[in-house]
Amino acid sequence: MISQSVTTLWTLMRRELWESPVAFKWTPLAIGAFLLLMAIVTLVIGARVDGEMAFTGDALRILAEQPVDQQRFIISGMLFSVATIFFQLMLLVILFYLAGSLYDDRKDRSILFWKSLPVSDGMTVASKVATACLLVPGLFLAAIIMTHLALLLIASGYSIVAGVNPLTTFWLPASLPRLWSIMAVGLLVQALWLLPIYAWLLFCSSWAPRLPILIAVAIPAGIAIAQHTWTLATSLSLPGFNFGLIMLKRLGSSIVPMSANIQFDGHLSDIEFHEDLFMSFGNVFAHLAKPEMWIGLIIAVALLAAAVWVRRRATDN
Amino acid sequence: MTATIHARNLRRHFGQTRALDGIDLDIPAGRIVGLIGPNGAGKTTALKAILGLGSYQGELEVLGLNPARQRDRLMEDVCFIADVAVLPRWARVRHIIDLTEKLHPRFSRETCMHYLKNTKVRLDAKVKALSKGMVVQLHLAVVMAIDAKLLVLDEPTLGLDILFRKQFYSSLLNEYFDEGRTIVITTHQVEEVEHILTDLIFIKDGKLILNSSMDDVHERYTEVMVRAEHAEAARQLAPLHERVLFGRHIFLYDQTDMARLRELGEIHKPSVADLFVALMSNGDSDNIIAEEAA
Repeated sequence: MISQSVTTLWTLMRRELWESPVAFKWTPLAIGAFLLLMAIVTLVIGARVDGEMAFTGDALRILAEQPVDQQRFIISGMLFSVATIFFQLMLLVILFYLAGSLYDDRKDRSILFWKSLPVSDGMTVASKVATACLLVPGLFLAAIIMTHLALLLIASGYSIVAGVNPLTTFWLPASLPRLWSIMAVGLLVQALWLLPIYAWLLFCSSWAPRLPILIAVAIPAGIAIAQHTWTLATSLSLPGFNFGLIMLKRLGSSIVPMSANIQFDGHLSDIEFHEDLFMSFGNVFAHLAKPEMWIGLIIAVALLAAAVWVRRRATDN
Repeated sequence: MTATIHARNLRRHFGQTRALDGIDLDIPAGRIVGLIGPNGAGKTTALKAILGLGSYQGELEVLGLNPARQRDRLMEDVCFIADVAVLPRWARVRHIIDLTEKLHPRFSRETCMHYLKNTKVRLDAKVKALSKGMVVQLHLAVVMAIDAKLLVLDEPTLGLDILFRKQFYSSLLNEYFDEGRTIVITTHQVEEVEHILTDLIFIKDGKLILNSSMDDVHERYTEVMVRAEHAEAARQLAPLHERVLFGRHIFLYDQTDMARLRELGEIHKPSVADLFVALMSNGDSDNIIAEEAA
């Protein structure tokens, strides 16, 4: 029974991958290819300026002489910042995917085919959630790993030419297993953190007569503006609590790339630039202890239930 | 043995329009039912209710299940094709077959391939690159490869050429159908299905105006071709419908004195299409349709 459900869920997730290969497969690969291309272009230009590799070699030797924790901070920090580009675009891909996920098949009537299969509407919605929370982050992480390896290989080539040990200068300080597992855990926690937003998009996608993404943005934006107008007109002040801003803030303060709990209260100088900013499991898990996380999850469950309810009644018109 | 479809006082309205106006229906297993009605009569609404795709009031059981609440379980034993093929356009043919194989416990890839063999549908083609007719062929192949107890076909052969239509109905009857299964077909091409139907249902304005077996239909209804001079006498016998063809008057009767009819003219059994026209126009102000000879 359970294994049948898992097979069904996995089949439905593969269906999502077949439907959106450009967004899920080619986008992360293209980002990786673009980053590698930029690295190669930089190196080619560098080679023309620094034909004898004097500066490059010096820089590599300086890096090799750094203390171990400095090396770790520099290398893993660089690899992490490479990953942030993936994370930003991944979020965009997921938001657009979810907004269309329960709408597109109603628009092109293929919902009649999907509903002719013995798959419950709850399972259909679950497959969309699992795709957004597991499959897409997994594919982007795979592309990040490939990009990291390619960048490290290029760096190794250069360090061998410069007479620097690539293993101790690049591969060990990169602390790849730790880096990648923090990213993987961070992506999972981020999916939970963003689940109320995902669920909101799915809910809008399940009933919107057209343009679900616009409706999903317009409703909270409209409420926020109305709320502002009302408090401004009645008490000449701005509201202390705003629905639209809460959603925006949640989207903006995702868990990865910055896994740290930074409170931006004007004391930016307090932040110590240390690898703990991004390389700490504790900071990732600390998000799970926040009450906002759990309030968000309760809202998400309610919205997902509503999405299933609407989906059960949805047909092609 | 429960009926395949059991409905009592099935209703649905859209605003003022009553799409389904109190339908009672009992379809046992092993029947091929033709659901025939003009556009907007409520055929699709009725089928959607049966398939768990639309809301309704009243009592409805399909294979002992409540379609609105148990659609996913119902779909293990029910297959359907909506009025136009609705396969996802982004998918490749093999995606559709893989998905159905994984998601449907009663799907047979072998049977599906057998039906696809005679078509030009390639496994690697995208659905959006197939012609309209090929999409229907693919969908029919997938659906007929599912070992279902109830098959619902809503205008299944729309957009198909006559060769494939003939072939489809023949494999439907000879390879697919058996006494354990029930098939419900709606179509405007009545002539093509009438010889395979076991039961006939006419629907008009959300009401059933005919619901009987083909045997009963043949028993009940008679057409008589009458010369113009006997037309008045024929009208006295309360015909359901009268039309004129090549100067002869053709009258359609419901259970009338056969001996009397034989005296008036040549007797034959009405086609489903003629019966449909007669029953549909019944009650309208102008129930005499003069047909021009084609």
